[in-house]
Amino acid sequence: MSTALSVLLDATLITLVLALASFGLAIIFGLIGVINMGHGAMLTLGAYFTWACMETGIPFVPAALLAALGVGLLGLALEHFVIRYFYDRPFDTLLLTWGFFLITTEIIKIVFGTDFRSVANPLRGGWDLGVIEIPIYRGAVAAFSLLVILATGLVLFRTGLGIKIRALIQNREMASLLGLNIGLTYKLVFAFGAFMAGLAGALLTPMMSIDPYIGNIYLVRAFFAVTVGGIGQILGGTLIGSFLIGGTETVFALFSSQALAQTIVFALAILVLRFRPAGVLAQR
Amino acid sequence: MSDQAATTRMGPSSPHALVWLSEPVLALVVFVLLALLPIFLPGYVIYILPQYMLFGLMAMSLVLMWGFAGMVSFGQAAFFALGAYTMGLVMKAGGPINPGYIGLLLAALVGGGIAGLVGYFLFSAGVRPTYFVLVTLALSIMMEQIAVSQSQITGGWNGMYIDRLSLTFGRFGAVSLYDDAPMYWFVLPIMAAIYFGLRALVRGRFGKVLAGIRENEDRLISLGFRTPLWKTAAFALSGALACFAGALYGTHASFVAPSLGGVLFSTEVVVWVAIGGRQSLLGGLLAGIGVASLSNFLSAITPQYWQLVLGVLFVVTVLFFRGGIAGVLGRLVERHAGGPRA
Repeated sequence: MSTALSVLLDATLITLVLALASFGLAIIFGLIGVINMGHGAMLTLGAYFTWACMETGIPFVPAALLAALGVGLLGLALEHFVIRYFYDRPFDTLLLTWGFFLITTEIIKIVFGTDFRSVANPLRGGWDLGVIEIPIYRGAVAAFSLLVILATGLVLFRTGLGIKIRALIQNREMASLLGLNIGLTYKLVFAFGAFMAGLAGALLTPMMSIDPYIGNIYLVRAFFAVTVGGIGQILGGTLIGSFLIGGTETVFALFSSQALAQTIVFALAILVLRFRPAGVLAQR
Repeated sequence: MSDQAATTRMGPSSPHALVWLSEPVLALVVFVLLALLPIFLPGYVIYILPQYMLFGLMAMSLVLMWGFAGMVSFGQAAFFALGAYTMGLVMKAGGPINPGYIGLLLAALVGGGIAGLVGYFLFSAGVRPTYFVLVTLALSIMMEQIAVSQSQITGGWNGMYIDRLSLTFGRFGAVSLYDDAPMYWFVLPIMAAIYFGLRALVRGRFGKVLAGIRENEDRLISLGFRTPLWKTAAFALSGALACFAGALYGTHASFVAPSLGGVLFSTEVVVWVAIGGRQSLLGGLLAGIGVASLSNFLSAITPQYWQLVLGVLFVVTVLFFRGGIAGVLGRLVERHAGGPRA
């Protein structure tokens, strides 16, 4: 019983952390239909920016915000100079964002080197729940992830900006005929997605050591989390997808190795995509 | 995605001064020059070039998918590594018949079989090109992780030693390929034969149907073509080729490690093919050989900036030269020859 409970708690934490890491991708993918293959590089950049800020003596929270802001600005520039010309050719945006990944990763390697870096954990200690001790920092990140998803839900479904964005997804042409500035909205969404990716990267840093390829691990998992959950269902879909990917991986890892668990989960995700290409939440 | 290069390639040939500069002639010249190379340039170059030729074969396997079927695979290196591991296991097992032959054959069958299964599974559901990228990307991650985790079979991180194959001709004797020059002259004709074979294939009915699917799949469906089967066939062939090339690579390098099948190498192939020309078999082949050679050469001088330059070249190609180097050259020749040619 206590094992089951601790696995459940562990899976919940992993789900929420993965949801946070996938969120930027889900925003860009779900709202403007761009497959951002640079998502992994944005996570990595967020981590390195945080590390660099903290090296200059800035405390963790402002450092993470600065890092996210930096990545958001970079996303804005990427959208402005490249991506916006390719919205009608989704496959080219995939290739171009992959190019962004290649270039960014190399620049990271040149500027920061390939050594492992680490950031001190700002919230040490654990939270003893009897059956399992949760590291406070991980719990805080999970809670924050939930908060972000709820807040985005509020913005999307309870504000004027949200109505505009949803109108855009539903019917781009009609929305623009009604006077909605499509270019600007897309730009904002893309930059926000990049900002969220940077923030996720920043918040992940105290939980792992940083190297130029950390984003890679999350890129494919995030994709599967988003697509398995369902592209249209940005919020619930991302949560459910993250649970299916992250949670299943935790459970399988109990019986086999971590690497094998990930392989099995990927295979399952491919199965789900084949039979429910619109995601598990989509109505048939 | 209608591309100038594709439509002109199918156009009628017109007799002109530059007509001899056509792709197969250029290919033949390159192959002959490569064949003569060991006479002038013994040593390391002759050792390493066959490996790059095999990379070139892998690049052609991607051209078949990308340029003709319109589906980009981010998992070609997974098949390449799978071939190398297959070869290694067969060579280790030995047997009464030359295990080298069995290994090569089995690699092609395994690669074709897996690609065929995965391909049919996905294409029969009408998977979009973007999802295909994700799934194949996942394939290469899975390949790498299986290779790492099943260490009792694959040797894990340490990799696996693979013996060099020898050519046996029954009663007529045998040729050892342990020296570099015989190995070189063994790989080169294979590469040339596969190039000309694939070229004949894509210029025939198979290639035309694939191009039709790429340009307008709905129309082909309404014309009665079972497009999932055609795409599956293309991917099976592509997987078989990549796996076969990987088996040869494994026995040539005498070694395979998990990173050979990983994401980074898989997507490097995409970069080669984009730069060489996504619709040109020769462009992909030469880009594979050329970029790999340059990487080796420049990595010694400027390891960091070279990869950066490749990334920038990739983006510039996608932005401005969709046909890659082959596309640009093709247009130049066209302009000077004054009209579309084959």
